[in-house]
Amino acid sequence: MKALDIIKEANQSLLRNKLRSFLTILAIFIGSFVIIISTAINAGVNDFIDKQMESAGGEDYLEIMSTATSDSINSLMNGEVIKEYDKKSTNQSDLQITDEQVEKARKIDGLQSIDLMTQFQVEYFKLEGFDKKYSSMGFNLMPRGTLRMDLTAGRMPNNDDETTYEILVGQDYVKYFGFEKDEDIVGKKITLYAPETLKCSMTGNADDCTKPVELTIVGVQAPGVMAMGGARINVAAMNRITDINYAGLPNEARVSVMATAQVDPDRIDEIKDKLAEIGLTAMSIEDEIGQIKTFFDAMLTVLKIFGGIALVAASIGIINTLLMSVQERTREIGLDKALGMSNGRVFATFAIEAISLGFWGSLFGIIVSFLIGQAVNFVTHETILSSLPTFQLIIFRAVDLISITLIIMLIALLAGVLPARKASKKDPIDSLRYE
Amino acid sequence: MPENLLTVRGLHKVYGKRDSKFEALRGINLKINRGESVAIVGKSGSGKSTLMHLLALLDRPTKGEIILDGTNTSKLKQRDLNKLRNKEFGFVFQQFFMNANDTVLNNVILPLKIAGVGAKERRRRAMHALTIVGLESKAKNKASDLSGGQKQRVCIARAIVNNPAVIFADEPTGNLDSNTGAKVEETLFSLNRDKDITLIIVTHDEELAEKCNRQIRISDGRIESDEDLATEREIEAEIAAENEELRKNHKTGDMDADGLRDDATVSHVKVKEVK
Repeated sequence: MKALDIIKEANQSLLRNKLRSFLTILAIFIGSFVIIISTAINAGVNDFIDKQMESAGGEDYLEIMSTATSDSINSLMNGEVIKEYDKKSTNQSDLQITDEQVEKARKIDGLQSIDLMTQFQVEYFKLEGFDKKYSSMGFNLMPRGTLRMDLTAGRMPNNDDETTYEILVGQDYVKYFGFEKDEDIVGKKITLYAPETLKCSMTGNADDCTKPVELTIVGVQAPGVMAMGGARINVAAMNRITDINYAGLPNEARVSVMATAQVDPDRIDEIKDKLAEIGLTAMSIEDEIGQIKTFFDAMLTVLKIFGGIALVAASIGIINTLLMSVQERTREIGLDKALGMSNGRVFATFAIEAISLGFWGSLFGIIVSFLIGQAVNFVTHETILSSLPTFQLIIFRAVDLISITLIIMLIALLAGVLPARKASKKDPIDSLRYE
Repeated sequence: MPENLLTVRGLHKVYGKRDSKFEALRGINLKINRGESVAIVGKSGSGKSTLMHLLALLDRPTKGEIILDGTNTSKLKQRDLNKLRNKEFGFVFQQFFMNANDTVLNNVILPLKIAGVGAKERRRRAMHALTIVGLESKAKNKASDLSGGQKQRVCIARAIVNNPAVIFADEPTGNLDSNTGAKVEETLFSLNRDKDITLIIVTHDEELAEKCNRQIRISDGRIESDEDLATEREIEAEIAAENEELRKNHKTGDMDADGLRDDATVSHVKVKEVK
């Protein structure tokens, strides 16, 4: 008997009991659908993160905090809100990055620069050509190094010159101020009004205690996770603003829990170790991406496990369906054997029936996931993800679909072994006598 | 000189073990020539069905041997037995055993499908077989739409589609009324006459048995009567002589010391000698 005949035969016998086969396939479909869709979401998220990071550069960038801070963030993440007092990790001064640590860090080979990220404040800002005062979500630092943002116009802020104040704005600025093209806002001056905290606490009137810092808009950032928070200023501007904020206050008042460093990318691990020795925990871009990915992976793994459980249940369905089929077709099996069909072929017929169930279940899973995936992608593009045109939430990769299908067919085959063995072991005479 | 097709020597079949042991066949010897039509007759429980199953190579004997066309079938592996059945035998059963949901044509095709014949060729041969039984017009019909007699003729078509040497028919008219039964009988005997297909029919229907040119009566697992009883005596004597020789050889230490005395092992020795 030819292989093609066996495959045809197997599918014809599935068609003989349409409802029963359909229900079994439905059970497999549920499992395969869950696995396929969560794999596709996983692929979408990872692809998005990769795409965002691809252009970001930043191989020479480290984000630094004190080990005490990093520990307390970790315990917070682990749900340890209250724990036994430990002088080291609860002492406020330990949470800060000290000048002493910065001095030590500067001596590390391969560490080119370190900038403390002091909390800085901007009361309001003004844009060239507009009279009103505006406030914004805040300003982030554009650290030194090769870290790159996705730009739609202009260039990255320069960190080489300590007296040139530059800013990179998000597309929100272009829209808000009614510029036609992203290029139109480039070159405009933006003035940030930084409060002198000490003075302000005495006068209580923001207008009397702020000092302007004029920055040049050098570029517009494309939408994306990196753009969240609005605008990024260069190190020189940050230092200028902090100087205003802390005017008249002792140096100890400058609280820095974070710092950024530019390092030799080839020695990044070695530098991280050395920083750890002086009580500083450093994270590279890679570490941060890893954290985000791990989070999504974990979430989607849970989904995949659910899909797996559904598949286990479905394979019991396959066993049941095929056992019934073997029972019903006892006389047919007897006849086949009497007419010279070998045990192996009988086994193959039922095994392929099982594999076919798996195949159809996973094929329907693929079709339905694909349709739903397209719909979800379309809807999210129109709504919550409209600002991220390059992001596809759900991505189907051929390699995923093929391997999931193969795995499901394998599971189905395993489920089919018991019934197929039962069929192949049947005695032809007894089977022909079966009533 | 008629050509020998089947030779059966010292056939025993025991079912069960120990207390539930049941000896269905107790030493059957016979020869069947090509082109004969043989009826195996007997009461139920006489062992006639068991004999047919063994002759048709559907089951293996406990002792004894069946030589088909010069091939000692007890030496064959299960795979080769399957192939032999597929190529040389056709089966017609009392209960038809058709796939009711499938077409007549597909039912007839089955043995060729098992043999791995290509789609075009098997279609052609199945149509030819259906023409022989006069049902070519029903090829596309569902098997369940046919009458009992038609069904049995489709089964005959299925039995001859592989050009077999032998058709085994187990009560072929048992489920049919006398009119349709007669038509089925006619089809079978005309195949026997015209195509020289050996016919082995198991039946308790005396009328049908009479139409065969030879009747073998089975009772209590032995042959009670047969036209060709002489051959049987001959075989019996042959076995006895071989046993005697064996015993001699055994005494002189030429043979394995595992007491090769039963009929099955006689054949073992004989095949060795032939080689």
